[in-house]
Amino acid sequence: MNRYILTTLFALAPTVTLSASDWPQFRGPNATGVSDEKNLPTEWSKTKGIAWKADLPGRGASSPVIVGNRVYVTCSSGTRDDRLHVLCFDAATGKQLWHRQLQATGSTACHPKTCMAANTPVADETGVYALFATGDMAAFDADGTLRWYRSLVGDYPTITNAVGMASSPILAAGRLIVPMDNAGESFLAALDTKYGKNVWKVERPRVISWTTPLVRTVGNATELLFAGPKGLTNYDATTGETRWTFKEGGGSVPVGTLDGDSIYLPVGGVSRFKIDAKGIAEKPEWAARDARSSYSSPLLYSGKVYTTDGQGFITCVDAKSGKQNYKERVKGAFSASAVAAEGKVYFLNETGICTVLDGKSDAFEVISTNDLGETTLGTPAIAGGRIFIRSDKAIYAIGK
Amino acid sequence: MSIRFCVALALALGAAIAATPVPAADDATTQALQTLKRVAREGKGNEDAGPAWKSLVSKGGPALMPTLEAFEDGNTTAANWLRTAVDAITEAEKTAGRKLPADKLEAFTTNPKFAAAARRLAYELLVAQDPSARGRLLPGFVNDKSLELRRDAIANELDILERVARPSIKADLEKLFAATRDKDQVELLAKKLNENGGKASIAEHFGFVTYASLVGPFDAPESKGFTIAYPPESAKDTGGKFTGKDAAELKWVPASTGDKYALFDLNKLLGKHKNSVAYALATVVSDRETPCEIRVTSYTSVKIFLNQKELFGRDEYHHGTPFDANIGRGTLRKGENVIVLKICQNNQTESWAQNWQFQMRVCDDTGGLIPGVTQLSTDGKSVPLGFSLPQPANKEEKK
Repeated sequence: MNRYILTTLFALAPTVTLSASDWPQFRGPNATGVSDEKNLPTEWSKTKGIAWKADLPGRGASSPVIVGNRVYVTCSSGTRDDRLHVLCFDAATGKQLWHRQLQATGSTACHPKTCMAANTPVADETGVYALFATGDMAAFDADGTLRWYRSLVGDYPTITNAVGMASSPILAAGRLIVPMDNAGESFLAALDTKYGKNVWKVERPRVISWTTPLVRTVGNATELLFAGPKGLTNYDATTGETRWTFKEGGGSVPVGTLDGDSIYLPVGGVSRFKIDAKGIAEKPEWAARDARSSYSSPLLYSGKVYTTDGQGFITCVDAKSGKQNYKERVKGAFSASAVAAEGKVYFLNETGICTVLDGKSDAFEVISTNDLGETTLGTPAIAGGRIFIRSDKAIYAIGK
Repeated sequence: MSIRFCVALALALGAAIAATPVPAADDATTQALQTLKRVAREGKGNEDAGPAWKSLVSKGGPALMPTLEAFEDGNTTAANWLRTAVDAITEAEKTAGRKLPADKLEAFTTNPKFAAAARRLAYELLVAQDPSARGRLLPGFVNDKSLELRRDAIANELDILERVARPSIKADLEKLFAATRDKDQVELLAKKLNENGGKASIAEHFGFVTYASLVGPFDAPESKGFTIAYPPESAKDTGGKFTGKDAAELKWVPASTGDKYALFDLNKLLGKHKNSVAYALATVVSDRETPCEIRVTSYTSVKIFLNQKELFGRDEYHHGTPFDANIGRGTLRKGENVIVLKICQNNQTESWAQNWQFQMRVCDDTGGLIPGVTQLSTDGKSVPLGFSLPQPANKEEKK
């Protein structure tokens, strides 16, 4: 039994396949919002502390992703928001390396706050995989070569979410995992990365949702933990088979965080549950009901859990006990998830203001407040000693 | 030099260039293009399309025009393979310091036989290289099948009208109003036209159905009405009696709307009902057989039937009312055509989830009126789509 527990615990570490300095997917290398980067900036403005800035051809709620010297960003534009853009920049200089456009083949209906470039792309050393809220999906090599393209709405015409989709694709078990929870043909699929064909596709409840699956390894198996309105389901990433379901782990927008034998879920405020190979404990170890998340995902960093909400509240609770350290209101609402590195926690609000807090302190200690003065809905990325923030107009590489 | 002269010159130039023989694409280019156009559902053909895309792009500048010419209006998957190839080709040409073939791009842009998306792309490439092309070409696109070119052309004309006062402004605005398709631009032009002595009817412009017969509510347990085929689904006329919710006897009831956007509010017309389904039946008359689009705006799940054939269905509740989000594509036959719209309601209790309503219009594939298509009013008269009798002013308007 002990050997079983130890094997399980060692294997519960999140999958890491790329350099720790990359930020290849939604919420970074381990999908936790945490980076090992050093020498990160704390102060900037539109005219100060910017290594480079590049104008973008459209809006986006997606995050930039960075692998090696490539920064990939998606945008959407046009009267009907039906122009879909994938851009690649040199991470060091900001030089635009290539720009590809797709024409939307699915509906562009959405809530006015969001847009068709809401799903964060995922990248690896070979290139980038971009999914748009229209169900258009393309894989580009790092040099901009189109490897494959799929119109998911062309393939499955009943796909529909008039609020707008935003779940992000991820890479797991050598496959591209595509979450497509919606009111029509709802599914989770694994595509082969070379040709974009379905390896497996499993039916999901026909309910709209915006979550992104988490990945973990248990023994030899890679698993996908995918929250939806009817609970959190664990799928075998290789076959798509359901391993177990945790009904209390449902969610619609924010995503949880795995940490060894614990999982922090945005349910009941934020709650910590024990997790092992067989599933998630029925009762949480603690629930911090006042730590609310609206669009942004909770951040676990340095023994504390941070949440942000649509009213501008930042709540910090102790990760072991769930006891609230503080709840403070800062300017603006949050859509982006908080990110952290080097003892600092970055909270980017919807109007371009980033509040930097001391992540080592249990008290609310503001290191700086920085204003870009532009709409910022996407979660920042951290790579190469810089913070990358995309606005509705531009992408900024902040730092030296 | 007048704008009319410039347009005539541009069209003549375009026609002349279009008439000159274009060097045929080489075999490899032709083969690559055919491979990209063969990609089918679920990535079928992607394994060949990837290498074909690379082969096409490697041909550089000479492959540009054949790639643009390969676009087809109906093949959106192929269009995205082609579109990204055009991006890569033109990016490489720019990096190499080579100019794009402006004369060929202009001829292509002005030739309506080519796909709308490709012509718009060619136009953008041309204008990026030669900004003067914008003013030269836009006046010719006011009625273009490319909605982007059309929109820009109308905005450009409107801009000119506002800068230079013309005695013919009302007539000019009427032409622009007839041509415009985007809702925001329609509203803007309607306002301008009304300010300049014209009379713009938004409902007639969009071709809304304003006369319909309604029947409902039918019982839809567990909000599953979308999947249940109730008898009116195959209705040919407004005859017959049905058993509705709570065993009530239902008959078709004539209704009309004078709303600016031809809204039929079922909560007012049939009463507030949950887990229910209602049907609307409208008769449109066409003077010939013609393709059509039946576009519906609704908060809730709908199905669209034309002459007893299902054209479209979407099962989604209370996620907003995007304009024209539901589009059924079919063919109107000569004479009378029966459109049946199924409108479902679920059992959500939130205050924002109580709407049960629809707007429906009949138009061509650009969203414009189809000449020779009318609707039958409640008393069986043929009237224009969007037509309604003057409505009594409500309290707000009286103030």
